[in-house]
Amino acid sequence: MISEYTLVVSLLIPLIATFVLPALKPRVAALISTLSFLVPMVVTLALLLTLQNFEIPIATLKAPIGDFYLLADPISNAFGFTICLVSAMVALYSLPYMKHRFEEMVEVGETKDIDWEFRKYWFLYNLYAVAMLWLVYAGNLILLYIFLEISLLASFLLIYMYGYGNRQWVGILYFVWTHIAGVLALLGFLMIGFDNQTLALHSLKAVGFLPWLLIFLGMVVKLPGLGPHIWLPWAHAEAPTPVSALLSPLTVGLAGYVLLRIYLVDPSFIVEYRDVIIAYAIISSVYAGFSVFKQKDYKRLLAYSTVSQMGYVLIALCLGSYGLIGVVIQYMSHAFGKSILFMTAGAIIATFHGLRDVEKMSGMHEYVPTVANAALIGFMTLSGILTIGMFGEFYILAGLTQVYGFNLAVILAVVLVFTISGLYSFYTMKVIYYGKPAGYEKPKFSRLLDMPLYFIAFFSVAFIFPPLSTALLNGMKILFGIGGGLP
Amino acid sequence: MMLEILVSLIILTIAAALSYRDYRISFILSLIAIVPVAASGNAVYSALIVAVAFLNDFSLLVIRENQIAGVDYAMIAIMCIATLYAFIATDLAIMLTLFVVVSVPTYLLIMISDKEMNVDVGIKYVTFMVIATVLFLIGAVLLYSASANTMVYSIAFLMLIVGLSMEVGIAPVHEWVPDVFSSADPIPVSIVASLAKFVPFIIAYKIILATATPAIGPLILIVGLIAAASMFVGNIGALTTNDPSRILAYSTVANMGYILATFAAITAGKEYIYFAIAGGILQLFVNSFGKIGYFTSIKNGGTSPITAYLLTFSFIGLPPLMGFWSKLFIIYSLVFSSYTWLAVILVLNSAISVPYYIRLARLLGTGWKFSLANAVVLFASLAMLITLMPPTWFVDVISMMKGV
Amino acid sequence: MIELLALLFLAPVFASFPIAIAWGMDPRPEWARKLPILSVLGLFVSLCVALYILFNVGELSPDAEPVKYTIYWLPDFNINFVFIFDYLSKLMGALTAVIAFLIGVYGLEYMRDDYRLGWYWFFFNLFTASMLLVVYSDNLLMLLIGWEGLGIASWALIGHWFRDDDELSYVGILNRKVAGLNMFWSPSTGGWRAISTIRVGDMPMFFALGALFALTGTLNISEIPWAGLEEKIGVAGIVILMVAFLMGPFTKSAQLPFSEWLMTAMTGPTTVSALLHSATMVAAGTYIFMRLSWYIQPWNLHLEGYEYVYILVLFLGLASSLYGALVATSSLERKVLLAASTMSSLGLMFASAAASYWVGKIAVLVAFWYLITHAFAKASLFLVAGHLIHETHDRFLGGDTEVAKKLKTAFIATVVATICLSGIPPFTAYWVKSGMDGVMHHLEHEFGMLPLALLVTISAIYSGFLGKFLSMNFFKGKKVHLHLHGGGIMSTAYLIMVSMLFVILGLYLTSHEEPFRDFFHEGLISSSLTVGLIVLVAYAIGLFKPQFESPVGKFLGDRMYMMFLNDFIVPKIGWAVAKVVEYGNRLIDFTCHQAIPQMFEVYSLGIRFIQNGKLDRYLQIVIGFVMLIVVVAVAAGWII
Repeated sequence: MISEYTLVVSLLIPLIATFVLPALKPRVAALISTLSFLVPMVVTLALLLTLQNFEIPIATLKAPIGDFYLLADPISNAFGFTICLVSAMVALYSLPYMKHRFEEMVEVGETKDIDWEFRKYWFLYNLYAVAMLWLVYAGNLILLYIFLEISLLASFLLIYMYGYGNRQWVGILYFVWTHIAGVLALLGFLMIGFDNQTLALHSLKAVGFLPWLLIFLGMVVKLPGLGPHIWLPWAHAEAPTPVSALLSPLTVGLAGYVLLRIYLVDPSFIVEYRDVIIAYAIISSVYAGFSVFKQKDYKRLLAYSTVSQMGYVLIALCLGSYGLIGVVIQYMSHAFGKSILFMTAGAIIATFHGLRDVEKMSGMHEYVPTVANAALIGFMTLSGILTIGMFGEFYILAGLTQVYGFNLAVILAVVLVFTISGLYSFYTMKVIYYGKPAGYEKPKFSRLLDMPLYFIAFFSVAFIFPPLSTALLNGMKILFGIGGGLP
Repeated sequence: MMLEILVSLIILTIAAALSYRDYRISFILSLIAIVPVAASGNAVYSALIVAVAFLNDFSLLVIRENQIAGVDYAMIAIMCIATLYAFIATDLAIMLTLFVVVSVPTYLLIMISDKEMNVDVGIKYVTFMVIATVLFLIGAVLLYSASANTMVYSIAFLMLIVGLSMEVGIAPVHEWVPDVFSSADPIPVSIVASLAKFVPFIIAYKIILATATPAIGPLILIVGLIAAASMFVGNIGALTTNDPSRILAYSTVANMGYILATFAAITAGKEYIYFAIAGGILQLFVNSFGKIGYFTSIKNGGTSPITAYLLTFSFIGLPPLMGFWSKLFIIYSLVFSSYTWLAVILVLNSAISVPYYIRLARLLGTGWKFSLANAVVLFASLAMLITLMPPTWFVDVISMMKGV
Repeated sequence: MIELLALLFLAPVFASFPIAIAWGMDPRPEWARKLPILSVLGLFVSLCVALYILFNVGELSPDAEPVKYTIYWLPDFNINFVFIFDYLSKLMGALTAVIAFLIGVYGLEYMRDDYRLGWYWFFFNLFTASMLLVVYSDNLLMLLIGWEGLGIASWALIGHWFRDDDELSYVGILNRKVAGLNMFWSPSTGGWRAISTIRVGDMPMFFALGALFALTGTLNISEIPWAGLEEKIGVAGIVILMVAFLMGPFTKSAQLPFSEWLMTAMTGPTTVSALLHSATMVAAGTYIFMRLSWYIQPWNLHLEGYEYVYILVLFLGLASSLYGALVATSSLERKVLLAASTMSSLGLMFASAAASYWVGKIAVLVAFWYLITHAFAKASLFLVAGHLIHETHDRFLGGDTEVAKKLKTAFIATVVATICLSGIPPFTAYWVKSGMDGVMHHLEHEFGMLPLALLVTISAIYSGFLGKFLSMNFFKGKKVHLHLHGGGIMSTAYLIMVSMLFVILGLYLTSHEEPFRDFFHEGLISSSLTVGLIVLVAYAIGLFKPQFESPVGKFLGDRMYMMFLNDFIVPKIGWAVAKVVEYGNRLIDFTCHQAIPQMFEVYSLGIRFIQNGKLDRYLQIVIGFVMLIVVVAVAAGWII
């Protein structure tokens, strides 16, 4: 009972903070926002370590909506922890970054009052992060959809108001694509509701073909897979960097979360069309991986890498119970790695006045060594070296053998997928941070632009060691019902 | 209820009589006149309709220098009373009367302005309305009298639908909408786009449900096609225009398409009919509050960005705003009545509509100044928030409607 | 035990934190440059622990039962930190620790004025800890942590001088081009080539791990039912699994065709080259193969799948070894020559260990002891080379007798190391090479004289270029300008290192234990002596006639143009795909964000075109529509 109570309180803290923040000064607001996410972070971590699995009922609505409740199992806790960690750190980071951004906007005359902009910003930022946090604890598909849309809305407004480039066009583009994704999923949810006479996750029995297809398509748009992926580089590159640092690591991956939840109800669709889906996932991952090499814009480059990494999630989803572990861990590792990387990109933008052209960067380690080192850890996480990403890849590969045996084509394809991630990671390291220094002044910059990165990096590394990894994986194992000591 | 109506009408007569002395007396009496009827009907439904009517009334205050000042409030009151009465009307004659009663005041209202009379607009509008009324009436009467013959039934059914389409502005007979909306004064347009839309739909629901025969299947398909066409025409038409009134005109066409789509769900089971009609009427409320808000802010020359975006997001269909739930109910009922393709088209259309609604918010969200018009806009946008409580209660209200 | 292990792995890593953090501080504190001593102290701690383990944990004999120690990690998946202390790991661990510590000491002076000490020491120590983890782990996933640690640390160290501004840190002659391809490599390129090659190997290896786990439910090398595995997945399965697994060792140990990165790894500081290319990183690949063979015991299984794999390793090893030796003979750079020679030695280790399938455990022992001998000799040579580069500011071979006089310690160390490594009787490597001759001779049944002939050829060439190395640096090289400064700590370090060779020699000659007795016996056979003589002659030729001009030499010196694979073929394919993909992206982007919106715009204009404001047109449309509907209604009524 005590843990239920703690969880509810800790989830309410950032929600309340959302409405308090606009009243505060930017500095205080940054601090409060960070704290409001650190509290649930600690709580979710504790729940994760103690393998909690419980539900907190909120309300019971009539069929076909069913129970509203909070669902706290190891999956929710793992996702929730990730969201809290990243949101808290990005909140700190936002302070110097958005200050820079607003000053830039004042310069071109897009705004006058920095304080006022900050008020709007903090409200939207916290709303965005909170919606995602509540999403992973939502035990009802309608609730889940509502939080999905709120997070979409808040992020849209942030892009629309504070983005770069042709931000209004990009904002609308982002909105349209993800709105399609959301509504397709909604259609699927509704059909599930009709079939089961409830939308509460714990009482769902079966998911028919058509709703599965609709949800899958919706989530493929959001995830995104090859084809619909085209919205992502625009949105993630032109968003203000703190927003990119939530958008790319947290939001898109939530599509994986939704698929995982539906899968746990009824895996029929994935099982039936496994070959097609995995082929699509592999192709889109490889495709996006190759796209990375050609990008000239640091943030766009990272955005393509997100597409590639999200391909992992889709691959993992097809690979049985080990694969499901892979989905969760891949989400976490990508979130850690990509948030660090987007923040490094942002740190360079903020310090070098909007520098984001890769061709104008070279030997940046010379000027921003701490940022460069953080980027290294970020890329290590993406390529699964010495960080939690290692487990992600491991379980995907174990699942691969379990499901496909020694099917040489699939093995080679998946190995290629992983290799490409490593290659583009270190290629980017070389191009941006190594080589002859590009001849800038060594800047002074706020410690808030690099310290939060290391905080995330710490967890990224700590998660391969006990007790974190032990508890996390044990929780997954119980949840996915991998029986006995031996598989 | 007859008694209450009688009381109301007496008050209104007094109001009209006194209007030449002071428009304020007329205004207040018009508001009072609505109360007896509203108090005797279904509380929730009445409250919502009265809210729409009051907003219309208050927005008319903005153009109180118009040609029929004083009488206009009474007209709103009459329309409001008719709309309230439509909730319980089941008799064909009464329903058709209500139809006419709601329709006729707009003939006059559309022409008024605080500048000069828009006779040209009036001619276009009235022409369309007359044809629409004729088609609707003939269709309705035929449905009731000769539904045994499938040939007659289908002609009657489709006449009713075409009449309805012309009345509310559904493509491909929507031609009056963009012209009237963009050249008439915004305030009367907001009335035409809000209060005047309820009765035709409610009556059409009732008539069709009362006279449904098994032959309705393929006819529903035609209705679905018209609805789809209207959505596309409305949303695509709005994409390239920068004139807020014109955008709103096409948005109305699209919204009417959404509502017409609910007729496709009429063959489904009973509780889904409730969802369909609840969705349709809720969408009408969204459209009403939204159009009142938008048109009033056009008249006002802009409003606060927050209210503008609130209206926009409601139209786009973001939870937990009203526009989300109405579309949800519509999609819900469509999916269950095996019209998934129509649901998908609806989804697609709601995506197409995103850019122009956001453009609208940008065009109109220029800044907040305190004024009567802005107050109206504010209340209209706040109304979008009443669904913070999931509106399953609205479905309950609809299930109490007589004749469905 | 757990405290000891914590010390072993964590001491070096934590000891390097102070310098890493202090170096990143802004402004940098004065005392930061003194902190490397702490890091070396950390290395010393792990050396002590490694030596303690060598002598006190279990029995030191090839036949001893391994001692295991488990720390729970993912107990629910049967994956734990399992440390194993057997003959191989105890010796290898001690070797790693000794070499890392000595190089660390050397680095105190060599890197004294570097601009990036925090980075250097952190990764140096991380590297050592990772290597120790690889050495002592029985669990493959835990091994992989060390393995990836090696990869990332090697990338960091090879690219240490990331500014690419010091000609001394390059490999190849600056601005030289062959067929349009740059024939010189900067440190950042060197790092990239290393990590990119390694990733290509690691991922298949990682797959093999996943597969092993899914198939057997355990990842402990000593517990995996290797024999049963072939029944389960068949011959093809075993071949796929093992080749996938060995991709890791092959790339790490720079076997053909993954050799290029090793050559350009010389862009790192010399200490790094010495550490990477003697006993650690590259040796890790062969070490893993030996350890696998140790527990697979293919000589007891005689299964078809394994046989194919071992044949592959045998010949791949020999071919790589020959390639490495040939390249080394014609190489003009001090460190590149040594790098190529390392590759050659690694090939021999692979080949010899692979021969265990037919010969038995002794072949693994031969390979292992060759690894140890080679490690000390090669580390000494690298350190000497580093010292020479330091004093001459020239990374190409060069130096006459004056150098020998002025740098006596370097000269002595070079002489000892080359003689002991080349296999001239009766010095250290002779005995273990004799053992190897014996092993290869055993393969006569299966493969004829080919392996032995290859081995003798390789040995001869090997000894030739060692002679050349000595000669070109101290006798017959071009005149160089010496900038003598300090060097005391450096020379002490490599003198201690090279003296280890005598300790090993002593072991070979006096010990009566396995496998030294076998080496001793093999060394006394006349055929071994013959090979020894051939080697001696080759050494003498190398010494007295170190240089010939010839196109063949140029071909070999350019490493048979293997770099075209790394720098041309693979990148070209990659970029071609990237280009196609980019066009694909543009196409999708255009379709979704330009074409379709434009299409909508056109339709939109069309829809708005109807509104010309004329009532009669509208009425026409209305009437038309009503007529249409009536027709439809009639049709519908008729159909129904």
